[in-house]
Amino acid sequence: MENKITSKLTITILACALIVCACSSSNEANSIVYGLTLAPSGIDPHLNASAELGIPLSSVYDTLIFQDPDSGAFVPGLAEEWTISDDGLTYTFDLRDDVIFHDGTPFNADAVIANIDYTTDPENHSFKAALMLGPLAGVEVLDEYTVVFRLEEPYAPLLDALSQVYLGMASPLALETWGPSEYQYHQVGTGPYRFVEYVPNDHLTLSRYEDYNWAPSIYNQRSASIETIVFRFYEDSATRALALESGEVDVIGEVPHLDATRLDADEDFELHPIAIPGQPMQFLFNTLRSPTDDVRVREALIAAVDRADVVKTVFGTHSPVANGPLSAVTKGYSPEAPFPGYDPGHAADLLEAAGWQDDDGDGIRRREGEELHIHIVAPPWGSNSEVAQLLRAAWDKVGATVEIEIAPGFGPLNEVQASGAYHLIGINLFDSDPDLLRSFYTSEGFYNWSGYSDPDLDRILNQAAQASLDAELRWELYAAAATLIRDQALLIPIRDYVNLVVTSNRLEGLHFSAQGWFPLLIDLETAR
Amino acid sequence: MVSFTDRSGNGALRTVARRLLEGLITAWAAVTVTFFALHLTAGDPLSGLFSRGLATQEQIETTRISLGLDAPLLIQYLRYLAGIFRGDLGVSLYTRRPVSQEIFAQLPSTLELAFSGLLIAISLGFVLGILSAWREHHFTGKLAALVTGMATGFPVAFTGILALYAVRTSYQHLPNGSLSPIQHLVLPALVLGFASAGGIARVVHAGLRESMRKPYMLAVQARGIQRGFRFLWHALKPSLPPAVSMSALEAAFLLSGTVVTETIFARPGLGRLLIDSILDGDYPIAMGIVAIVAIFYTLSHIFADLVSVAIDPRLRRRSQ
Repeated sequence: MENKITSKLTITILACALIVCACSSSNEANSIVYGLTLAPSGIDPHLNASAELGIPLSSVYDTLIFQDPDSGAFVPGLAEEWTISDDGLTYTFDLRDDVIFHDGTPFNADAVIANIDYTTDPENHSFKAALMLGPLAGVEVLDEYTVVFRLEEPYAPLLDALSQVYLGMASPLALETWGPSEYQYHQVGTGPYRFVEYVPNDHLTLSRYEDYNWAPSIYNQRSASIETIVFRFYEDSATRALALESGEVDVIGEVPHLDATRLDADEDFELHPIAIPGQPMQFLFNTLRSPTDDVRVREALIAAVDRADVVKTVFGTHSPVANGPLSAVTKGYSPEAPFPGYDPGHAADLLEAAGWQDDDGDGIRRREGEELHIHIVAPPWGSNSEVAQLLRAAWDKVGATVEIEIAPGFGPLNEVQASGAYHLIGINLFDSDPDLLRSFYTSEGFYNWSGYSDPDLDRILNQAAQASLDAELRWELYAAAATLIRDQALLIPIRDYVNLVVTSNRLEGLHFSAQGWFPLLIDLETAR
Repeated sequence: MVSFTDRSGNGALRTVARRLLEGLITAWAAVTVTFFALHLTAGDPLSGLFSRGLATQEQIETTRISLGLDAPLLIQYLRYLAGIFRGDLGVSLYTRRPVSQEIFAQLPSTLELAFSGLLIAISLGFVLGILSAWREHHFTGKLAALVTGMATGFPVAFTGILALYAVRTSYQHLPNGSLSPIQHLVLPALVLGFASAGGIARVVHAGLRESMRKPYMLAVQARGIQRGFRFLWHALKPSLPPAVSMSALEAAFLLSGTVVTETIFARPGLGRLLIDSILDGDYPIAMGIVAIVAIFYTLSHIFADLVSVAIDPRLRRRSQ
């Protein structure tokens, strides 16, 4: 009886589904579903900090300038051209005069001011965008289509910041109408897609903006070809491949590597491994606590790990082994200062030299009766705990006793860090600009969790942050910093992050922004 | 189970009032424990809120003060309680929307899934429980017992993925980008209902077996009443109240405990909102959900007690 009821219900629902199908079949070829991997809390890019929100919203907004994902060059966007004063303190932008927001509001210099005001209003608590503006002193209107940004000190990452969705230009009318708590549900930009609807945890819908006529050169198409894009949230990684195979989504990111390899072999699907700029997955050494306060011990621990083998075991074949404080696709990455490879003999020599010896043959090294003990603190995400297990196995072999602690979230991780009770801690950030190194490796940096302090390193990283007018000089400074960081063995780099994105083969034209995370949706097409 | 003092409506009313008061105390205790547990274990909410690496300690402290998070924990707690009495559950740290608005946005989806799941759990639970007791020594009874065991034992994370595998080639999303109702409701409700059916089936099974051994069943048999009728009327009726209590428990559980099902089937809902808000450190949301679920627990228990009394008059007489 139970089954009968269920099947009747099923039939009824199927019938309804068919009716819905029949009604909407005109859209069929021109709509896709894009799978997101986490449901962000708060999706106003001007106020919230999530990276996931940029996947749909990068195509809702245009930015003053764009960054070419292939060359890294900045190209015109809503600003046709811009000049930087010789002291690096004044940026003047000449704006396009033909741009209309999705709600009909014209774009001009006042709109830029309204956006910066909204973003930097302390009452609005912007958790990312306002901070990306760095030492901004103020913005001024010169004329209807010219706007000036003034800085308190030179700030090289400003152009990169202005090219990201977090500083995308929103309709001043919509910002004014909705205010900081409701605007996220009614977003209005000038991009190739309009924001239609957002139901938290369920879906977000975009539809094509017919009047879009100011595409930057980083887009291959001049206007979007797919009519409607629906985003859905697949937080459980085990269901992502299933969602693709069932036809429920046409594209999804962060597919587990075994599923990605399997789908790659299937002609119905295509795998796009997207390298993400920023820091690799890494563990920072605590240089304030014995035994990792000794650079020889830090070097020994690095040499004792076969990092290539760790990466292959945990992440499969799609992730490159990391080789420095920046991942290889990041601006300013230097291949000149690679981290030393696997050499357990050298590791043993270094430990001997540092006074850690195994005199009684029990496999554990001691110095003055104290065991060589290493405490690893790992966050719960991104396979950090699996990697920590393999580090323990490697360091057991060279005579250390290793303890692993999993901090269940970012708050607890911060607390362990504040207590100082760790030898290694897993933390890394992604960004398209290498300035993120400053918060990790300068003495006063927020993320100086290695506790290391060196005036030379501080000077190099601060100088790089201010080298607005000379990109070559900037990259040289980051290469010098990478060498210092390597020589002091401040971290053990594991793998460069690669986002495994899989599409169904009916989808073509997928490529991503310079940050690696954000698809350029305008160029997507469905194959016939 | 209740102990109603007399058969008049007045007494029942008094009991309901007392249960409501008990419920209020339960809800208060739940909110208090959650408040302190969250603040003591999950760490500083602001550490997750800010974009990492960009904020200085000074900027973080300024925000902390403007959000009122710099006050001593006890003061924050008292403020929170005072807010609840004014019907104000606070504002989400991330979206800045009132907590009540965030919760009510997820409620329809949760109720839809919980109600369908409960319907399936109760019907499947009763069928399994009755079959496994009635045909205890036959194949069907053993099969029912086996299925009951699987329902209790298999985690939703397992049956959910299994269900997705089973249907993965047989449907597509609708052309307008929305999901088919099978994917969106029928499958998750079946998976959830199956998981909750196990507990109900066990209670029904145990109740039936106990009743069948009671002396009054001999008398019923002596009157020549057929086995099927004996079973489904005389034996089942007295074993209903525990099953109703069990169903009420499951109902309350379904309101908040559906996070795995919601995640696997990409559905919105309170369970996911709760987990996400705890992981994000968005305390006001987490607290609001706990408070609402605690109140729902209480109400569903009162409802179950009333239903039990309606079914079984002995519950009214017993206390006289």
